[in-house]
Amino acid sequence: MIRYALTRLALLLLGLLVASALIFLTLRVLPGDVAQLIAGLNATPEQIEAIRDRLGLDAPLVVQYLQWIGGILTGDLGSSQLTGTPVIDELVQKAEVTIPLGLMALTVALLIALPFGVLSAVRRGRRDGTALNVGAQTIAAVPVVWAGMMLVIVFAVWLGWLPAQGFPREGWDDPARAFRSLLLPAVTIGVIEGAMLMRFVRSATLQAVGQDYVRTAAAKGLTRTRALLQHGLPNVGLSIITVLGLQVAGILVGAVVIEQLFGLPGIGRMLVADVGNRDLPKVQGELLVLTGFVLVVGFVVDLLHRVIDPRQREAE
Amino acid sequence: MLRRPTLVAAALLAAGALLLSGCTGDPAPEATATAITPDPNASVDIRLVLEPGNLDIRETAGAALDQILIDNVYQGLVSRTPEQDIEPSLASDYEVSPDGLTYTFTLREGVLFHNGEELTPEDVVWSLEQVRDTETFRDSARLANVESITADGQTITLSLSAPDSTLLWNLTGRAGLILKKGDKTDRKTAANGTGPFTLESWKQGDSITFARNEDYWGEKAKVAEVVFSYVRDPQAALSGALAGEFDALTGFDATLTDQIEAGGDFAVVIGPSTDKGTLAFNSKKAPLNDIRVRQAIRQAIDKESIVAALGAGTTEYGPIPELDPGYEDLSAVAPFDPDASRALLAEAGAEGITLELTLAADYGTTVAQILVSNLNDVGITLKVNQVEFATWINDVYINQDYDLSFVLHTEARDFENWANPAYYFTYDNPEVQRLYAESLAATDEAESDDLLRQAARIVSEDHAADWLYNGASVVAVSSGIAGLPSVNVNERLNVAEVVKSAE
Repeated sequence: MIRYALTRLALLLLGLLVASALIFLTLRVLPGDVAQLIAGLNATPEQIEAIRDRLGLDAPLVVQYLQWIGGILTGDLGSSQLTGTPVIDELVQKAEVTIPLGLMALTVALLIALPFGVLSAVRRGRRDGTALNVGAQTIAAVPVVWAGMMLVIVFAVWLGWLPAQGFPREGWDDPARAFRSLLLPAVTIGVIEGAMLMRFVRSATLQAVGQDYVRTAAAKGLTRTRALLQHGLPNVGLSIITVLGLQVAGILVGAVVIEQLFGLPGIGRMLVADVGNRDLPKVQGELLVLTGFVLVVGFVVDLLHRVIDPRQREAE
Repeated sequence: MLRRPTLVAAALLAAGALLLSGCTGDPAPEATATAITPDPNASVDIRLVLEPGNLDIRETAGAALDQILIDNVYQGLVSRTPEQDIEPSLASDYEVSPDGLTYTFTLREGVLFHNGEELTPEDVVWSLEQVRDTETFRDSARLANVESITADGQTITLSLSAPDSTLLWNLTGRAGLILKKGDKTDRKTAANGTGPFTLESWKQGDSITFARNEDYWGEKAKVAEVVFSYVRDPQAALSGALAGEFDALTGFDATLTDQIEAGGDFAVVIGPSTDKGTLAFNSKKAPLNDIRVRQAIRQAIDKESIVAALGAGTTEYGPIPELDPGYEDLSAVAPFDPDASRALLAEAGAEGITLELTLAADYGTTVAQILVSNLNDVGITLKVNQVEFATWINDVYINQDYDLSFVLHTEARDFENWANPAYYFTYDNPEVQRLYAESLAATDEAESDDLLRQAARIVSEDHAADWLYNGASVVAVSSGIAGLPSVNVNERLNVAEVVKSAE
């Protein structure tokens, strides 16, 4: 187990290194740079060059990359070229929106996917089961932006229950308001992710229903549902954990879109603005942290699998 | 619905503190001077569209900085009135010598910077010299004619090497802002000015908060706090307004007017602006180097339908908008006439050409769709390449690698770009350059304006570009708010007079 964990960790670090190079290079392909944007529409080439020089944009790419990686190894993720603010400070500040938003969305997704997924599997072939399945397919296909707008119109504009956009300036010092302002965005992402997750739960459950151990349990006198709940669900749980690991990336992407739509000052909106501003040191720092986060989630999921599933341990 | 911008502006300017009541059904919103009970402790939330990348008023370009920082936080010796006239600000008085070579300002006494330090004549000399001598400062070149800046007591004297009819105007902008000598404030994220508001906080990606400057030298601001919330998406802005989260919205999408006014809380106020929807032609490149092709494109485009689709603004047929000096109606130069356009294209042997339009993504797709269909009518295939603003700057502005480009030029009095052959407009006409230089050197305002007018006519007759519309300042204002400017608010949004009702 320890050997597995160490191998897996080495893979994680390698993944991060490759990601850092990819992120760095991809961003350099973007046309335009921050100096041109700072200088704006009445700038002379000399002015732009002077700004470029001051920001060190003229240094060779390899030097810039090594400086960045060197900084990270000493715990410095870099700073914004526009404001001079350290990337890590900005990330921590914006995380107070995006992390709760992601967790709330995940909760909503699970609350939808687990009961309805199992139900639609158990009721397969009947009318309600089919309806649930078709409903999930439909919802999963709804564009996030449209769903968000509809929810805003109903709950913010018509009913006035929840704010239509924005995050309180006091942040979590006003927890009720902060929570309320994240509710609609979280539900928007959560419902759609939930509908997608529900299909996985359904097929995992269906698979479990057909397994020998469930049939054996049923033969021993348990009702089919009880057999499924007691013996099938732990196995369903395994597949769900794998899919959840993937969903984390999906929720992050959803957050980029939804934070724009709801005017939330989170990581997604910051990322979009920073790319627009060509604030590359900031973008690459942010992307690396996000990539790292997704990779770490994958790492944890893999380890969890080992812990939960005795078959995988025995295979060693 | 028909709205008359000038009427609105006049009505707004006439009254001091205004109550903007619902205007549905009227050609112009009613602007009455009915007193509302102002709440001096109020916080006003105003939606803006574009957030600045940083707040460095010296080095970072972009109207987003000028819009809120100039007048409210930073001030110059002189400033602009809503009518776009020049009035004293940190100078209580000023005088220009008849030969246009000496400008004398009397500096106000008892002015404090936000950090409590006093404004001295030395600060003025230092600020202006620094702008003039630092190449990377915005508008540095606008003080190029200023030979010396001296202070004698409270009297500041600017001596010029040659007359410059735009100097006073330029001093109302970035070039003229007065900062504290030797100030260590990090201008990128903070500000130390003399204006009626202090920069309280900037929550990046969200909002900027101003607080009333209680030690302000002039009449103090009428609200305690102004929060500028940056919301790009027009639908999100509308939802926010309908849910009561904003007091006013600038850059409002005029096509959503009926929706926001339906609730009864908001009125949409339309004022004139210097926003020029500029369709630039790369006249260095075939087939656009042929004046007939350029004229054909201009005559193929139905400007009225563009204005109608945008829901606000007016048509414009030359480089100078109505709000700026040197304006004249040039609609006869290139009227909408698809038949004439087709004839011109045939004459030029340019039938069935394909052109690419590079368009900064911030401006939406409405205009591009009309262009595609209008040009298609005369046999021109238009490919639309919608790009990020940063890409636009790189490809079009710097590398001049484009056929047609669309960008909204918001800056007031920016005719100089037509007299600059290196500018991305690729327009090089010595006659225009001469007229512009003469206009700068003219010491008589009427003469200077007339020279500009002549130059602008030539630019339009050369079909150097097309002007798709003269944008409007579209502001949605809730009924509890008064005193918000309505003219050219994308350039300047002075909130010193804003009042919020106590209810």
